[in-house]
Amino acid sequence: MAPPRVLVVDDEEDFLETLVNRLRRRGLEAQGALSGPRALELLENGVFDVAVLDVRMPGMDGIELLKEIKDRWPFLEVIMLTGHGSVESGIQGMRLGAFDYVMKPADLENLLEKIQQAHERKSLRGD
Amino acid sequence: MGRKGGKEGSRRLPWLPWVGVGLVALGSLGALLTGSQLWLVVILVLGAACCGVATGQLLAELGKARRERALLDARVVQSHKLAALGELSAGIAHEINNPLAIIGREAELMEHLVGSALAGAQDGPRAELQESLREVSRQVERCKEITRNLLSFARKMEPVFQKVDLNRLVEDMVRLVERETQGKGIQILREYHQGLEPIRTDPPGLRQVVLNLLNNARQATEQGGTITVRTKAVLGGGVEMEVQDTGCGIPREHLARIFDPFFTTKAHGKGTGLGLSICHGIVSRLGGRIGVRSQVGKGSCFTVWLPVEPGSGGNA
Amino acid sequence: MKETSKTRVLLVDDEERFLSTTGRLLGVRGFQVGTAASAPEALEELEQNPYDVVVLDIRMPGMSGIEALAEIKRRRPDVEVLMLTGHASVDAAVEIMRLGGADYLLKPCSMDELVDKIQAALERGKTKKGA
Repeated sequence: MAPPRVLVVDDEEDFLETLVNRLRRRGLEAQGALSGPRALELLENGVFDVAVLDVRMPGMDGIELLKEIKDRWPFLEVIMLTGHGSVESGIQGMRLGAFDYVMKPADLENLLEKIQQAHERKSLRGD
Repeated sequence: MGRKGGKEGSRRLPWLPWVGVGLVALGSLGALLTGSQLWLVVILVLGAACCGVATGQLLAELGKARRERALLDARVVQSHKLAALGELSAGIAHEINNPLAIIGREAELMEHLVGSALAGAQDGPRAELQESLREVSRQVERCKEITRNLLSFARKMEPVFQKVDLNRLVEDMVRLVERETQGKGIQILREYHQGLEPIRTDPPGLRQVVLNLLNNARQATEQGGTITVRTKAVLGGGVEMEVQDTGCGIPREHLARIFDPFFTTKAHGKGTGLGLSICHGIVSRLGGRIGVRSQVGKGSCFTVWLPVEPGSGGNA
Repeated sequence: MKETSKTRVLLVDDEERFLSTTGRLLGVRGFQVGTAASAPEALEELEQNPYDVVVLDIRMPGMSGIEALAEIKRRRPDVEVLMLTGHASVDAAVEIMRLGGADYLLKPCSMDELVDKIQAALERGKTKKGA
């Protein structure tokens, strides 16, 4: 299987850069977006297998972005990153079709494994 | 569902009727030999009593079997009812979407007309009219959300089966809920069966079920209460996951209906009532079963049984 | 679109009022609009007049939108077709893409969404022809 093409969306620049770099070092094709609208732009112009979205972002938040993604790219698997106070958003996110929820701070190995699983799911679906 | 029956019922004594018959025979024989009426009466009474108790037990067994049968029937009716309701709600959602599209479009047209035709009109009333039309559009958006939810409820999202470590999947969701229960002074106890074999199931679907059950338990439990999350291997095959709370419990009259769509005991606006029916739908699609035991004031325990491989059976 | 000639859009829906109002609003936004109340009517209209984009409702009595999509793409592969659907099902999306549909839109949708999708479909058509 080709390495997963991952889009990471988070408004914290440092976090985003670190995560994208670490994913790349592990052989994934990773790109970062600092906002929902920027993420949509990248999705329109590229092909991705998995998106990792921060739930809390100013402007368009992770849930809104998830909705938009699932409307337009139902095959793209989405993993949500969340801090605290997250049960309601967790339930909403899962109902809207998120693949999984990962608590922040995210452990890289854990996240990698989930990305692989999400990628596997996408290919099992026969996209 | 895990069956706990058997050990709770009164113990059966299969030799009891034979003792009764023996005593009756012995009594008759004794009475014939000795000619004593007293012997006859005492031993006949004893024998009859033994037979009576045995018959009573037999009837109790019969009643239990009948009750279990009724429960099973209720579950079958339940899943038929859910399927029918799913189709119905999808149909309604589709039908509503068309008039909704027209209402939304007309509101947009009116906004446009107000903007151009009333260009010279007073600002106050015009702004008010525009705001009012925007409100119509907002409410159309809201209805749209509702119909989408109905459709996603009805839609048989084809599950994608992947190998899953149940303990890890459950633990991930427990952590998500734990931060909020800690704040409320509710403790989550984990009783995971170590060395559980991996199962093939639909991970996001199962996560949704676990999260919904945990969230219901959280909402039902008062400060100082506990939620116990259990996983176990089932003897007849498959695995089980339980979420038990020390919350308010579910009244008997609600138990039969809690998996119905829209059945809710929460206040208006607090819950859509889709949680448990969604869980029921998902678990059925995964080839599993969901059940509940509850006692008012003591708490509830939801049990989800899942096969190791989709389509493989387990204990009936 | 900053073009000298207007983009020609054919709207197909069995709800007459939706058809007329949406058509009118698309006109306001600078499109040249034709309408058809059924799939056969749409096919006939496509024979008579040139169009750049067709916006097609999936659920119509008689010939369904999916059937119409296949027929339109067979006759006029250069025309971009946008589908209007009640909900996003993976199956329907796959079917639409397989038959050559440009994209689909969830009904009810706002005019902004509709215009965005029409323009995206046009862009897609152009890059396809350029390639």
